[in-house]
Amino acid sequence: MTSTQERIAIHRSLVAVVDDDESVRESLPDLLKEFGFATSTFSSAEVFLASDCLHETRCLILDVGMPGMTGPELQQELIRRRQNIPIIFITADRDKTICARLLEQGAVGCLFKPFSDTALLEALNAALRVS
Amino acid sequence: MVCSEYRYRRPRTAEEKLRRSEAFLAEAQILSRVGSFSWLVETDEIRWSEQLYRIFEFELGLPVTLDLIGSRVHPEDLPLMSDMIEKAHRGVSDFACEHRLLMPDHSVKYLHLIARGSRDNQGRKEYIGAIQDVTQRRLSEEALGRARSELAKVARVTSLGVLTASIAHEVNQPLSGIVTNASTCLRMLSADPPNVDGARETARRTIRDGNRASDVITRLRTLYSKKDLVSESMDLNEAAREVTSLSLGDLQRNRVILRHELAEDLPPVSGDRVQLQQVILNLVRNASDAMSAVDDRPRELLIRTERDEGDRVRLSVKDAGAGFKPEATERLFEAFYTTKSDGMGIGLSIGRSIIEAHHGRLWATANHGPEGAFGATFSFSIPSRRESVADVEAPANQTDPATGAAA
Repeated sequence: MTSTQERIAIHRSLVAVVDDDESVRESLPDLLKEFGFATSTFSSAEVFLASDCLHETRCLILDVGMPGMTGPELQQELIRRRQNIPIIFITADRDKTICARLLEQGAVGCLFKPFSDTALLEALNAALRVS
Repeated sequence: MVCSEYRYRRPRTAEEKLRRSEAFLAEAQILSRVGSFSWLVETDEIRWSEQLYRIFEFELGLPVTLDLIGSRVHPEDLPLMSDMIEKAHRGVSDFACEHRLLMPDHSVKYLHLIARGSRDNQGRKEYIGAIQDVTQRRLSEEALGRARSELAKVARVTSLGVLTASIAHEVNQPLSGIVTNASTCLRMLSADPPNVDGARETARRTIRDGNRASDVITRLRTLYSKKDLVSESMDLNEAAREVTSLSLGDLQRNRVILRHELAEDLPPVSGDRVQLQQVILNLVRNASDAMSAVDDRPRELLIRTERDEGDRVRLSVKDAGAGFKPEATERLFEAFYTTKSDGMGIGLSIGRSIIEAHHGRLWATANHGPEGAFGATFSFSIPSRRESVADVEAPANQTDPATGAAA
């Protein structure tokens, strides 16, 4: 890794977005870039697991309900692999009990769609403090 | 004299008794739709009671063979029959089964057969059995099954929580895009220097996601559109009673006093039962919800059906809730307009499209009356069955012969 890339990795932490919904995959990266993060988007948990980004990801923004492997299942898989990536869950279902359970399992945040930019930034700051 | 007469009459009485007993048996077989048979397995000699000929619809006295029986057995059940015959030959003593007949007119009969194996006086293996025509029972079981699944369908919709959750999910996705895009847009504009191109792009995406959210609602409305209507003759009174019995638990929990005023001479309407029941259910729930904060007067909910002018039938649901301001009348039916803290504001909007698909209208009025001006009444009025039939013959959007334009 060259020194320039190293600097980018540190100053522009990579935030990965995993969501099957296209409008989220399109809109979130621009906002994250505005916040100063580098981003990568994935349409499914499986694609994310197979990617090279896994080891560079400083924070994962993860949709709860997805076809195939769900967000919580990916969380379990990462725990199993000892990949300690801070996770911010996002969900379109306003189910507080699921959120509480995900936080118990170690998630840093759980945001209900639609969420505000400030709520997201707060969660990201918390996530990066953890990592 | 007396003695000889006695001797003379005694055998006649026995014969009479036998005839009477045979007549009883025949009558009982007709009434119970049970026919009996005997079957000598070695020689395939089969004897049928009269009723069995009637069940199989064969000419009385026709020699019965396994082939003849096979010609009536439903093709799908023939393997069952050969299996049974094979078992009988092997000497399995008793058997029972249910199978179908396919009649010449393509109707299907359901039969229940039970047979017991024994030996006749010459020691040959013989089966004696009874066959009951259980078609009626099976058909009513099927009808019951259908009614049950229809009820389940209504019940599924009843759990409005499930419905709103799935709608919320569908709508929250594009909403999430809208909020994120708009936030990004603002940030790009307030940057120094402002990123106008980026802002323009995110604004465009905001509009597209907005349209996506509205598409969700359109899809939802087409779910209840005309083309999906299953039209059948139905009694609105019965539909209303079913809905209220389904919601009785909820109503009681909400301390709602339910009253019915159902017109006895209500003509049937033509429509999709499940959809109309959804509308009624929605009106009842709204009425109940509207009274959840009422404590200074009875929470009375009145469901009324009546004949309406122009050969129509009207159903109204009256509550004693907070009512609504006159200027809100039309907004009530707009999608996403709601006065409930946890409501989606789509029930009435969907309800109106259902009623309009039934050539009817759905409206709301604020209550006025000697008892005070509490609450609201939501009513719909749809054509009765007779008018609907006429409707089919002469469609509503006829072309004006004079102008050639749609009326």
